[in-house]
Amino acid sequence: MLLEVKHMSLSLKRAGKYSKILDDISFYIEQGETLGIVGESGCGKSMTALSLMQLLPEKARLEGDVVLQQKNISKVSKRKLEKIRGNQMSMIFQDPLTSLNPLQTVGVQVEESLILHTKKNKKERRERVLQLLNAVGLPRAEELIDEYPHQLSGGMRQRIMIAIAMACEPQLLICDEPTTALDVTVQAQILELMNEIKRETEMGIVMITHDMGVVAEVCDRVIVMYAGKIVEEAPVIELFGNPKHPYTQGLLASIPKLGRRKEKLGSIPGTVPTPGSMPTGCRFADRCPHVMEICRSVTPEMIQIQKSHQTACWLYDEKEGNENATTRSHELEAALHN
Amino acid sequence: MPLLEVTNLKQHFTTKKGFAGNKTVVKAVDGVSLTIEEGKTLGIVGESGCGKSSLGRSILRLVEPTEGSIKFKGKEIVGVSAKEMKELRKEMQIVFQDPYASLNPRRTVRQILEAPLIIHNIGNKIERKELIEDLSGKIGLRKEQLSNYPHEFSGGQRQRIGIARAMALNPKLIIADEPVSALDVSVQSQVLNLMLDLQQERNLSYMFISHDLSVVQHISDKVAVMYLGKVVEIADVAKVYDTPIHPYTRALLSALPVPDPTHVKNRVILEGDLPSPSNPPTGCTFHTRCPMATKECREIIPPLEEKESGHFAACIHV
Repeated sequence: MLLEVKHMSLSLKRAGKYSKILDDISFYIEQGETLGIVGESGCGKSMTALSLMQLLPEKARLEGDVVLQQKNISKVSKRKLEKIRGNQMSMIFQDPLTSLNPLQTVGVQVEESLILHTKKNKKERRERVLQLLNAVGLPRAEELIDEYPHQLSGGMRQRIMIAIAMACEPQLLICDEPTTALDVTVQAQILELMNEIKRETEMGIVMITHDMGVVAEVCDRVIVMYAGKIVEEAPVIELFGNPKHPYTQGLLASIPKLGRRKEKLGSIPGTVPTPGSMPTGCRFADRCPHVMEICRSVTPEMIQIQKSHQTACWLYDEKEGNENATTRSHELEAALHN
Repeated sequence: MPLLEVTNLKQHFTTKKGFAGNKTVVKAVDGVSLTIEEGKTLGIVGESGCGKSSLGRSILRLVEPTEGSIKFKGKEIVGVSAKEMKELRKEMQIVFQDPYASLNPRRTVRQILEAPLIIHNIGNKIERKELIEDLSGKIGLRKEQLSNYPHEFSGGQRQRIGIARAMALNPKLIIADEPVSALDVSVQSQVLNLMLDLQQERNLSYMFISHDLSVVQHISDKVAVMYLGKVVEIADVAKVYDTPIHPYTRALLSALPVPDPTHVKNRVILEGDLPSPSNPPTGCTFHTRCPMATKECREIIPPLEEKESGHFAACIHV
C-alpha cells in the first residue's frame, strides 16, 4: 500500500471558534492507482489534499494518521516533512498562474526541487530540466527555460506545474482540479499527458475534481465526499453503473448527457450545510429523497455492501446489497424508540 | 420573421500598448450573422476569447457595435436613440455569469426585483408587490425571504434571483451569458430546469452563451460554434452534435470528457493553444491548430456556407 489515511479529521479556526472541516476520513491508494475524490464546492476535497501535504493554515487542528510507504508522516517534524514534500509526494494546483512565481524563470522554478532533494550538479540539473520540459510536451525547451510564466499560455503553465511536480519522480502525486481553469481542448491535452504519465510510471495519483467527466476518464477508483465526510467509495465503473448513496445518485442524475436534449434533469433540492451548522445524524438527510427517522439522529458508518464498494447510508445492509436493505435500520429505529 | 436577426455584426476594441501608445485592434466579434426564432434557444459555444460574451453584450448594445445590423422583431436597433433603446430593453434582458457580482449587495431581493418595474413605470405599488411575489414563487423563494440581502443566499439561489429580475418585465428574449458556469452540478441542473420551464410557459427565446458543450446541447434548439470572433459552424443542435462538419467542432466535441467510464474515446487532440485575438492568424484563423490545414487555409478566409441543408460551416475542405 502506497498511502493510507486513517481517521483523519481537520478543524479550522473561524471567527474564534473551531469548526470541523473534515470528519473521520479514511482511505488508501495502491501503487500505480489513480484515486478520484469528487464532490461539490465546500465538501472538503481540497482540504483533504492540503491535509495530506500538511499545507494548512495556522491554528489548524489535524488529527489521525497519514501513512506514506509504511511511514507515519503525520507526526514528523517540519524539517523531515520538507524532505518528503516535493520528493516523495508532490502536488499540482488548480490555478497555474498564481502557483508559479512571476519573478523567476521557468528553468529556475523547475530546478528548485532538484537542488533541494538531489545531489546533481548544475549541468546535470539543466539536463534534467530540459528532459522534464520535453516529457510534459513543451516545445522549444531550450528557449523556454529562460522565459517567465507570463509569457506562456494557461496550458503551458499547467505543463510547467506538472514538470515541477514530477522533477524528483515522486511516488504520490496529488492533483487539485488540474484542468478546471483550462479550456476544453487544452484540458484534453493535459488529461492525455496525465494518462501518459500514469502508463509510464508506477506513481499513485490523487485526482481531486468536481467534473464527473474527468473522473470517468482518468480514475480507477473513486471517493465521493459530502460536507466533510466520505459517503461512497467504489471502482469507477461500479460507481457510475451502480451508484448506491442517494447523494451520488443525485449528482450523476444532474449532469446533462450528450444525446439527451431538453429533458428535465435530476436535481438535489436545498443546499450543502455549512461547517458551523452540521446537522446531527446523516449530513445529507435534509436533501435526501429517501430520508428516514434514523437518518436524522444517528450518523451512518461506512459499510461494505459489495466487494470494494462501500457507502455510508442507512438504506443498505452489510454485504446484502439493496434488496433487504432496511432491516438493519428498522432494528436500529426500534431500538431508538425503546 | 425571426425574433432576432443579426447580420455581419462586428465588435472591435482598440487598445493602446507600450509607451508609444501604439493602437492595436482586437476583433472580438468579426462579422457574425445569426437568427433566433420565437420560443427557441440558440446556444453559442466556444472557448475563452472566442468573442461569445462580446457578441451577447453587443446585441443588447451594452457596448456599441462597430458595424453591422441587429434587427429585433424586424426593427433595426443599431443607431436608435437611448430613449427608444430603453423601451426595447423591456423585451430583451440579460442574465450574467457571476451571481455574486451582478446583484447589488445593499439592496434586498424585493428591491432588486422591483427596480426594473419602477424604471419602466409598471403598475402601482400593490400590483408590483403581487408581481414580485408571483415571480419569487416561480424561482422557489418564500415570501419572507424577499426582505433578505443577496449575501444570505447560496450561489444557485442568487442566480435564480438574477433570472427572476430578467423575467420581471416579461421579455421576449433573454441573453444568458454563462448563467450556470459558477454553479455546482446539482445546483446547475436546478437553474437549467427553471430556464426550460419558463421558456415553455412564456414562449421565451434564449441566447445561451456557454463554454460547456454538454449544457449547451441540453438546452439549445440551434447551436453556433465560435472561434476567434467568427462563427465556424451553425445548425440545429442534433446536426452540430451528431454530424459536425467543421474540424474545430469535431475536435471540440471529441475533447469533452464523457461522464461514462465505459465510453470508448476516439479523440482528436488539437495542438497548441488558442491564438491571441489581438493577433489572429491569417486566412482561416483555425489553420494553426487544424489537422486538415493546407497552404490555401493560410490565405483564404473561408466563408460560412450551407454545406448541407440548414447546416452551415466555414471551411474550404469540407
